[in-house]
Amino acid sequence: MMEEARGATVPVDLSTRLGEVTLRNPVLTASGTFGYGSEFAPFLDLTKLGGFVAKSLTLEPRWGNPPPRIAEVRAGMLNSISLENVGVDAFLAEKLPALPEGTAVVASAFGTAVDQYAEVCRRLTDAPGVVAIEVNASCPHVAAGGIEFGQDPVGLARLVAAARAATTMPLWVKLSPNVTSIADMARVCEAEGANAVSLINAIQALDVDIETRRPVLANGLGGFSGPAILPIALRMVWQAAQAVDIPICGIGGITSAEDVVKFLLCGASAVQVGTLNYLNPMAGAEIVDGLQAYCERAGIQQITELIGALDFPSR
Amino acid sequence: MRVDAEVIRNESDGLVNRRIVLSCPGFEGFDPGQFVMLSAGARTDVVRFDPLLPRPMAIYRTARFDGGAEVEILYKVHGRGTELLAEARPGQRCRLVGPLGRGFELPQPGERALLVGGGTGVASLYELAVRARALSPVRVLLGARSASDLLGVGDFEALEEVGVEVATEDGTRGQAGRVTALLERELEAAGPARVYACGPTAMMRACAALASERMTPCVVSLENTMACGFGVCLGCAVPLTGEGFGLVCRRGPVFESHEIDWAGLP
Repeated sequence: MMEEARGATVPVDLSTRLGEVTLRNPVLTASGTFGYGSEFAPFLDLTKLGGFVAKSLTLEPRWGNPPPRIAEVRAGMLNSISLENVGVDAFLAEKLPALPEGTAVVASAFGTAVDQYAEVCRRLTDAPGVVAIEVNASCPHVAAGGIEFGQDPVGLARLVAAARAATTMPLWVKLSPNVTSIADMARVCEAEGANAVSLINAIQALDVDIETRRPVLANGLGGFSGPAILPIALRMVWQAAQAVDIPICGIGGITSAEDVVKFLLCGASAVQVGTLNYLNPMAGAEIVDGLQAYCERAGIQQITELIGALDFPSR
Repeated sequence: MRVDAEVIRNESDGLVNRRIVLSCPGFEGFDPGQFVMLSAGARTDVVRFDPLLPRPMAIYRTARFDGGAEVEILYKVHGRGTELLAEARPGQRCRLVGPLGRGFELPQPGERALLVGGGTGVASLYELAVRARALSPVRVLLGARSASDLLGVGDFEALEEVGVEVATEDGTRGQAGRVTALLERELEAAGPARVYACGPTAMMRACAALASERMTPCVVSLENTMACGFGVCLGCAVPLTGEGFGLVCRRGPVFESHEIDWAGLP
């Protein structure tokens, strides 16, 4: 009380909203980088995160690609895992119940056809602890599902409409960066009833072994993620924020609380930390602490003040 | 667990071979064959994300202290990550996550333990030799291209009740030729045995084939590129003879040799 009277500590409100979903803070962890959550329980308090997006789920369990599946590149990595997952039913029966009470879970849905996506959404609806469904419309290395829905506005519209019809839950759509106009793709999602868009997924990329004269990944192409992609992600979030009114979850290359602030300024209402979780399994919780400290230093009482506050030069 | 571990020593062990000792508060026990994820080089005040990923490193041996342990790791400088690690000075800090993975099961009492190590693979076998010798006769067979490539031979030779033999391809130490020739001879002796192999893929595959011909159980400890080390990135999958893939970091790094689809390994 004494401290407050002196004005030394003004309580900071880190909570944010994506449509009807209220999160305790804007720091989520990204699908594919956080398993089913319980893998991280030895390292951090899952309830400290704004939430986490679980590994994408398909109707049936699915094996991924042959190795090599990952490779390091400058300030980043390439991966071509290809949606290996336990399947939606095992997620509901085994993975969800293993999570501590109070964990905010965003379930991620994937399919190779629209009706498969819709059925996964249907099965996830009203699952305990699940606050939203994120449709993965952008896996960069699955031929069916990646290209058809992630890079073609007509295909994306069909997918979002089907998912929307399949669930009453808050529906987020994770967008691919491998498009000419991210604004157009975000508009399609908004028009078809999505409650938020998440972006960006990994950037399609290639690295080469000059000894073998082959790609470094067995699959050839992979998805590029990590600190190197941050400026591309910021650009796309900013462009999407100019185009739509639905909230945006910013993803790509986050390594610090300062990076989170950048995404919020560009128009994101929340963010997802991805590749960093691999090298620092405590990263999500550390960034929440860092955000609190940043707001205290900067005299920000509500983190939502930052959303879209970028002073972009007018043309 | 994850710690910022302080570098105690980081010394040359001949040519590109090095050994680093890290003080790790909170580090409890480990099973032989388990590994840690170690940052590529020391962490300084300047944040660096290139190289990005930590490197999986076998735990060679540890020395307990009150509230933690000194963890010793053998490594070879062969890329940017290990080159940066070689520059880490005493007093600097490296980030470490572990112990990780499923290690070796100890031999049945009386069963001869035949430990076959090649290159840095020998690092996974030291603690196994230490613990197995109380249960079984232990033979350690170490191989390398040349005498100067050998790692840890003196440490193994210093272990009482452990027999050590060396093979080098150029004959500069021990028997000239491959370490698998030593294994072949050991397998001719009567009585139950179990083979533990860790080294280059070709060496482990040859060990698996020799053991299989003589109906001797064989386990191998695999290496792979990993981003996380705890089952999340799914990058370290290896093809299995049954259905699908197994993660080196979680199901492994130790596998029964017959579980591995050797032809499918890159």
